[in-house]
Amino acid sequence: MDLSRRGFLQAAALTAAASGLTVACGNGSGSAGSKNGKNLTLWYWGGALSDKVVAEAKTHFSGQVKLTAASIGGDFKQKLTTTLAAGSSVPDITGIKGEDMASFLPNAGRFLDLNDLGFKEISSKYLDWKTKLAQTEDGKQIGFPIDIGPTALFYRADLFDKAGLPTDPDKVAAQAGTWEEYFALGTELRKKLPGTYLVNNISSVFTIAVGQGTERFIDKNNRFIGDQDHIRTAWNTAIRPYTLGIDAKINDNTWNAAIGKSLTTELGAAWHALDIEQAAPGTKGKWRVCATPGGPANQGGSYLALPKQCRNPEEAFKIISWILSPENDARGFADAAIFPAAPAAYTMPAMTGGDPFFGGQKVIEVFGPAAKAIPASYEAPADAAVMAPYFTELTSVEAKGKKPEDAWKDAVSQAKQIARRQGVK
Amino acid sequence: MLTHWRQYLAISPFFVIFGVFSFFPVFYSLYLAFQRWDGMGTMQFVGLDQFRFLWSDPVFWMSIRNTLVIWVLSTVPTLFGALVLATLLHSVRRFKSFYRIALYIPNVTSIVAVSIFFGAVFSNNFGLVNAILGMVGISPVPWLSNPWLIKLVIALLMTWMWTGYNMIIYLAGLQAIPTQIYEAAKLDGAGPVRTFFQITMPIMRPIILFTVIISTINGLQSFSEPQVLFGSNAANPNLGGPGQAGLTTLLYFYQSAFVNNDYGYGAAIVWAFFVLIMVLVVVNWRLVQRGRKS
Repeated sequence: MDLSRRGFLQAAALTAAASGLTVACGNGSGSAGSKNGKNLTLWYWGGALSDKVVAEAKTHFSGQVKLTAASIGGDFKQKLTTTLAAGSSVPDITGIKGEDMASFLPNAGRFLDLNDLGFKEISSKYLDWKTKLAQTEDGKQIGFPIDIGPTALFYRADLFDKAGLPTDPDKVAAQAGTWEEYFALGTELRKKLPGTYLVNNISSVFTIAVGQGTERFIDKNNRFIGDQDHIRTAWNTAIRPYTLGIDAKINDNTWNAAIGKSLTTELGAAWHALDIEQAAPGTKGKWRVCATPGGPANQGGSYLALPKQCRNPEEAFKIISWILSPENDARGFADAAIFPAAPAAYTMPAMTGGDPFFGGQKVIEVFGPAAKAIPASYEAPADAAVMAPYFTELTSVEAKGKKPEDAWKDAVSQAKQIARRQGVK
Repeated sequence: MLTHWRQYLAISPFFVIFGVFSFFPVFYSLYLAFQRWDGMGTMQFVGLDQFRFLWSDPVFWMSIRNTLVIWVLSTVPTLFGALVLATLLHSVRRFKSFYRIALYIPNVTSIVAVSIFFGAVFSNNFGLVNAILGMVGISPVPWLSNPWLIKLVIALLMTWMWTGYNMIIYLAGLQAIPTQIYEAAKLDGAGPVRTFFQITMPIMRPIILFTVIISTINGLQSFSEPQVLFGSNAANPNLGGPGQAGLTTLLYFYQSAFVNNDYGYGAAIVWAFFVLIMVLVVVNWRLVQRGRKS
């Protein structure tokens, strides 16, 4: 019997994780009470804010409050969820990732309405579509936009040159205005430079193609629409590079190694530039940026929020509006490639300079207009979960050669099931 | 009871910790399995809905299949390798502790570090293994995208981790066998192979079955290996590798509960999985009993 008890204990430990209760134990520093506390805690993750700006905020506000900033590693959303559910040790100010915002909105009651604290007066400084994504149906504002992720097309100008294609961003953008034109360009590139690919994988194409629309997988009436034309079109767009043989099919962790070598272009958000720079430092000066084929989309970009337990909402709001003022936002871009959500920052010297990694190109001329043109779309709490099967099936197509039509059917039926599980009609 | 309060106090820490961190969560998760809960908002009682979803969820059944395949692929070579290594080590005369430590080290290295290392070594395009294969003229093998090879790589990783652990247990068992038996066998003219199969193996049987059960429990709980090998991020959420070929049940549970914020469904997955582990443990336990009788 000894052994089955062991099995019991191990399963017990597992399910302990399931309830998420083991994580939520801590000392109660966030208990409610006075709302003019002198100690404020700020939770963010590495790269969410400029460390320099945060350090300055500490000294800037040292007269009023003591700000303690903690860079939280690991699964940030999960840690924040369990802390909020437990109700103790809740940070006074916390970051929320853009992709997680939708899942926090149904629990908006756990956060302070920033409009009450004065966000209403300054909200026009920030991009409207971004602000709206952190708003409840009844107009409660729970997130203060930090940054956004306008997408663009990164390309290797040197390889374009070798293939006899234009290298100037405007000309490339004109030649790759639509997805079809872009794929045609890739086919030509592959002919001239055998062994090169246009896209790293088709999931990245799908993500952007979905983001270019105004609707996603679940509509405002909480209905599943992932089987409709707009998603089907995005799916077909994603399948194209695969059928044309210009898809590198990189679905493991080898993107780092491929980026400097066989990939001629890369689709991604503004912050992606830093990833490319770090993965392929040897290609410095050879990259350029131009508009995304088919129009801009948003990828990532985060918020700051004040949990209900915040011990000094007024000061906390002052701190976040200082950290995220257009001037400091512009510095965040220079320090950590955090693309500001405040358009006023786009004309500041910190952002208008040439980027040496992109051969001195003024990348803001591409990202700035893209940021303003991103279509607003409703994102349901279950959206990310419902989207996952599409990615799985796209990788199945790439890895196993699964027929795209079968993959589409499986993705839709799987997505429907997840949607039903999460209470979507 | 009251006269022994000091003794009870002395042993209480375990029971208090067990009660708070294991016993309560177990039943709380059972309660959760009948709710829909996003981790923060109000719970909604949904009856047996979660289990009904589970029953008709092809991904759940696939994750069970993946787990069992990976378990078999890793347990068989692990236990066989451990037994061979233990026998070899048992007969070694010099540097005994060195070998013991060297072979045990994989078990204490961080599973995350090992997974990252394996991911790099077996990488499709730029991995060490494919580079070496390329040198001898073999075209690259899609280790991390072919559904079977994915399982093989995960199983290999687990074999690498757990062989040394089982070897130590076997070595202890081997050292408990009286040397007279071996001497008698030698006098009777038995060679090393025959000695191994007719003396070592039968005496070691209960220990082997013990390790089989431990490996069942460990092997079925594979989670970190695929989680790290196919690390997911917002832009490319690979759930268990291409085609989900490396999606183990625990990874599926983790994705459902913590990534999709579907705690009720996650709880239902682990409870169903708990039943499966119990069944397999009971089967193994029966085998142990039978081994003792014979």
